[in-house]
Amino acid sequence: MTGTGLELAGVSAAYRQAPVLHELDLRVARGELLVVLGPSGAGKSTLLRVVAGLQPATTGRVLIGGRDVTDLRPGRRNVSMVFQSYALFPHLTALDNITFGLEVRDVPRAAARERAVTAATAVGCAHLLDRRPGQLSGGERQRVALARAMVREPDLFLLDEPLSNLDVELRTETRGELKALHARLGVTTVHVTHDQTEALVLADRLAVLRDGRLEQLGTPDEIWRTPATLFVARFVGSPAMNVVPAGGPLTPEGIPADLPPDRQLGFRPEAVRLGGTGTAAVVERVDVVGEDAYAYLRPDGGPVLTARVPANSRPAAGTTVRVAVGWADVHVFDAAGRRVAGR
Amino acid sequence: MRPDRGHRQLAVLLAPYLVGLIVLVLAPFAVTLALAFTEYDLIRPPRWTGTANLTALTADPIFRTALVNSLVFGAVAVPLRLLAALGLALLLHRRAPGTSTARTASVLPTAVPEIAYGLLWLWLLNPLYGPISQVLRLGGTNGLTVFGRTPPQWLTDPADARAAIVLMSLFTIGEMFVILLAARRALPPDVYELAALEDATAWDVLRRITLPLIAPVLGLLLIRDAIGSLQFSFVPALVVTDGGPPPYATTYIPLFAYRNAFEYLRYGYAAAATLVMLLLTVAAVALQWRLLRRYGRFHSQ
Repeated sequence: MTGTGLELAGVSAAYRQAPVLHELDLRVARGELLVVLGPSGAGKSTLLRVVAGLQPATTGRVLIGGRDVTDLRPGRRNVSMVFQSYALFPHLTALDNITFGLEVRDVPRAAARERAVTAATAVGCAHLLDRRPGQLSGGERQRVALARAMVREPDLFLLDEPLSNLDVELRTETRGELKALHARLGVTTVHVTHDQTEALVLADRLAVLRDGRLEQLGTPDEIWRTPATLFVARFVGSPAMNVVPAGGPLTPEGIPADLPPDRQLGFRPEAVRLGGTGTAAVVERVDVVGEDAYAYLRPDGGPVLTARVPANSRPAAGTTVRVAVGWADVHVFDAAGRRVAGR
Repeated sequence: MRPDRGHRQLAVLLAPYLVGLIVLVLAPFAVTLALAFTEYDLIRPPRWTGTANLTALTADPIFRTALVNSLVFGAVAVPLRLLAALGLALLLHRRAPGTSTARTASVLPTAVPEIAYGLLWLWLLNPLYGPISQVLRLGGTNGLTVFGRTPPQWLTDPADARAAIVLMSLFTIGEMFVILLAARRALPPDVYELAALEDATAWDVLRRITLPLIAPVLGLLLIRDAIGSLQFSFVPALVVTDGGPPPYATTYIPLFAYRNAFEYLRYGYAAAATLVMLLLTVAAVALQWRLLRRYGRFHSQ
């Protein structure tokens, strides 16, 4: 199971003259699940469409399983895609939707049917086969779309925000099933999402995209613990990481004396400690989410900081509290927003 | 606002349409219906004759010819028109250089007034100097085509004249074209992208995706055009072929009714012919409706 599943070498793409991807380099190992994460307009879907061949790459090469597919039409790349809208054929039953790709490739009807039933069973939609998309719920449609993508045994799965049209409960459930399915099939998968939880849960590795450029590529742990840029640090994590200037009102405990003053210091809301010693800050607002509470604090003359505290020991809004953060929890970035190694 | 004010407003707004409908459509229809059972020549008052007109129609060889002509015309022209409009719509739905010009050109013949359109074709079809015949004679000698055959005698040969009327009808498909163009453009693009990923051929895409998805629109247009086909044969037959060549090769029911009413002053007889045409239309619509309903049940959710 070693080798390259997908490789992008210097791939650029444009949408009506406007560049969307800038010379992107990316390698996905065979059998790996790569999640592409980024805000809207970062070029995530474009990346997927270029890999699928639905949109041309203006520069660079696309290799799938070591095979250069840059100049091949979509049907010759042996990839399967699940669209955000699922793109089910409204006039066909779930079964006919699943067998579509086999039938246009002249697989005998009986064999196609058999494989469709196997795929449908794997994603748990075997009981829906004679229904039309109009008779299915969002989650059921999603399963049919997945079964349709699986049935052809492609070299590469492309999933374009497949969970975004599901309600929260179903999304969490389906997310787990997707992960189990990938573990079982072991097909190289590129999964695009803007949902960071989904990304962190699913990914073998995570690619964070911003304005058509790769900000960071790494395991979810690396992305979380050592964000390469301020953008990644603030984009992954909710509420977002706090950022203060090095010389600011809040000085982390144990800060080195020789730290250049243009550094920016980031720390997650979980790292903020309230009470005891530290900088004085006014509690502007407190949001309670079940067991957790998010307190929005304004130190004198500084930006608003977010602190995550247990709901039963939360401060009251309007009071003044002492805020402190340990140096070990601080990420240091230079003026341009790049991570500075070794703190 | 009290609810009856809304109703009154609705009535006021609908009134012009309802007046028009009654005065221009329903009243003439009632008169025609009544006249069909009378003998009336504009000079003497109508005389009740019961079903004599209808029995006379069944025995009238000219009417029988007109009936067959109309049915054959509808059966040939309607599918061809639908096919032409569909072909153009599928060809021109994408944005590409020249498509907007081509779209305009596809709609333009429909915008030409009917009589002018007929006169234009009278020139196009002329056996001596008409462009169509000239093109067909290209490369041939002695006024024959390149295969050594006589070019079609559009205005003098019965079969060729019928073909000419069908040919004329194939260019006035602007409305159908516009509707099909809109229908095609409203189809979801991701479904086509999926088909591309599955390497479906153009034929598979047409057969398995496009046609089923626009079938409801096609069905509607089929019904509408079948109704229309009984009527739009009138002007070409009157202006271009004058109902001929003998024996009554392009006399369709509308022309038959027109001649009887306004040239032979047999209003009752003409009204009876119109009634038959109406019944034919209703029958055609009912039949297609049933077929579409059956297909629809099996097709949509």
